[in-house]
Amino acid sequence: MWELIRANRRKSLVLFFIMGMFLVLLGYLIGQAFKPQGGGITGVVIAIFVWFILNMISMFSGSKIMLTVSNAKEITPDVHPRLYNIVEEMRMAANLPKTPKVYIINTEAPNAFATGRTPDDAAIAVTAGLLAKLNRDELQGVVAHETSHILNRDIRFMTYAGIMLGTIVLISELYLRTLFFSSSARYRSDSKGGGQGQLIMMVLAIVMAILAPIAAQLLYFAISRKREYLADASAVRLTRYPEGLAAALEKISGSTQDIETANKVTAPMYIVNPLKKKGMKIADLTSTHPPISERIRILRSMAGGANFTSYQQAWSTVTGSPSHIIPRSGLADNESLGFRPPASGEDIEADMKQSRRDLGNLMMAVNQYTFIDCPCGVKLKVPPDYKSLQVECPRCGRIHKVSD
Amino acid sequence: MRCPVCKNPMVILELQQIEIDYCTFCQGIWLDAGELEALLGDTQQVQDLLTSFKIDDAIREKRIKCPICNKKMHKIQAGQHNPIIIDKCRIDHGLWFDSGELQQIIEMGSLHKENEILILLKDIFTNKLK
Repeated sequence: MWELIRANRRKSLVLFFIMGMFLVLLGYLIGQAFKPQGGGITGVVIAIFVWFILNMISMFSGSKIMLTVSNAKEITPDVHPRLYNIVEEMRMAANLPKTPKVYIINTEAPNAFATGRTPDDAAIAVTAGLLAKLNRDELQGVVAHETSHILNRDIRFMTYAGIMLGTIVLISELYLRTLFFSSSARYRSDSKGGGQGQLIMMVLAIVMAILAPIAAQLLYFAISRKREYLADASAVRLTRYPEGLAAALEKISGSTQDIETANKVTAPMYIVNPLKKKGMKIADLTSTHPPISERIRILRSMAGGANFTSYQQAWSTVTGSPSHIIPRSGLADNESLGFRPPASGEDIEADMKQSRRDLGNLMMAVNQYTFIDCPCGVKLKVPPDYKSLQVECPRCGRIHKVSD
Repeated sequence: MRCPVCKNPMVILELQQIEIDYCTFCQGIWLDAGELEALLGDTQQVQDLLTSFKIDDAIREKRIKCPICNKKMHKIQAGQHNPIIIDKCRIDHGLWFDSGELQQIIEMGSLHKENEILILLKDIFTNKLK
């Protein structure tokens, strides 16, 4: 497994360094455009410094920012025991040092993501809609996929790459804006003694400021796409039941709801691109995720057991591409892992009404509602900002205390 | 959810697997779309009752806003004789009943008297009216 993680990292590192080169080049050209003597070096230093600072911030509070932006709330095992059990189960299967924190996002759109710095300090966030729509096997598939991101060290790497992309975008925007707002003044001073060299530099810097963010984004997407496949493959290894994840992906992609809190930065983290509706038409090149139908087909055509070799074979058959999506070291893994049968009995889909109510109760519990069971049969759910300390049951007139 | 009339946080009452948002301060009731149907069962009488709801924006009662979308709600006339004026969200988020209005509607509909939920509802809100 370690070999695999390292190989996975090596592959992505190449793309990551090319992205870094864009950042350095951008800094150099902008610096040079401002000050032909030695400005380039200053520009490079500033660019790297900005990236470094942003990384520091994300190192110490990146996951917190991501979770806050996504409006995710942490839950305890008693709020949703089933989800917690599954996370614990997958932690053991993946041999993680600590159980990831579990968060719930209050939205009906089904989706999930993992974030954090290290496997010691990771979090898995799922939406309330996911809990309402998936059965246990499917939920396990999704949690396994997110656990794989933690296990494969994707979470930190994606944060680094995401921050680099953000830095490139930020610097480019800043430069183009400064240029726009100071253009008239610049022309005047230039006409006195401005060299042609500086003009060329300026044009180059402008071109770079426009192209670098696009190119960096493509690289970022390439990195994240690869990792999605690998996380799918690892998820099957953890659950030994590819159909669970396949069915979950099908349900998630079938949903027409968007996640209100998702944005360009957080979108690649999700198991299924939450902004799919808006970017549907753009070519696969700009997609942060592989096409879902393809991921599902690969999972369903895994015939040789729950190992990486089997996933690679299914991948090649479905995509018709000879390239390796699983690093070679993973293919040495020929451990025969048989599939397990689907869970049965209690996990037959609950009817929609029941699961909607469960979802409602769950969100109320997360949002600190007080639940009161009145002996007369009415259940009272009191919001946290309720103004009185007591509430009267409208049916029998009993007075209940709200806070404990 | 906040009460669209007095702006206090509303309590949720669950009975027979149906949830009702209820304001303990002004005794108003909010029913999400479909809940009235679920509450009363899907019978011809219920359909008749629902189709008797007519939008009447000429009514000079104060307009209140839908607690979900915050848009001003329609005034609805329910029933032919002595119509009751209730509020209905323009984009069908649900219905608002001021204190006692839901009970009047239920009585007006002369629905299945033995409907368990109906009995429960009635006794809940008759108690409040006393």
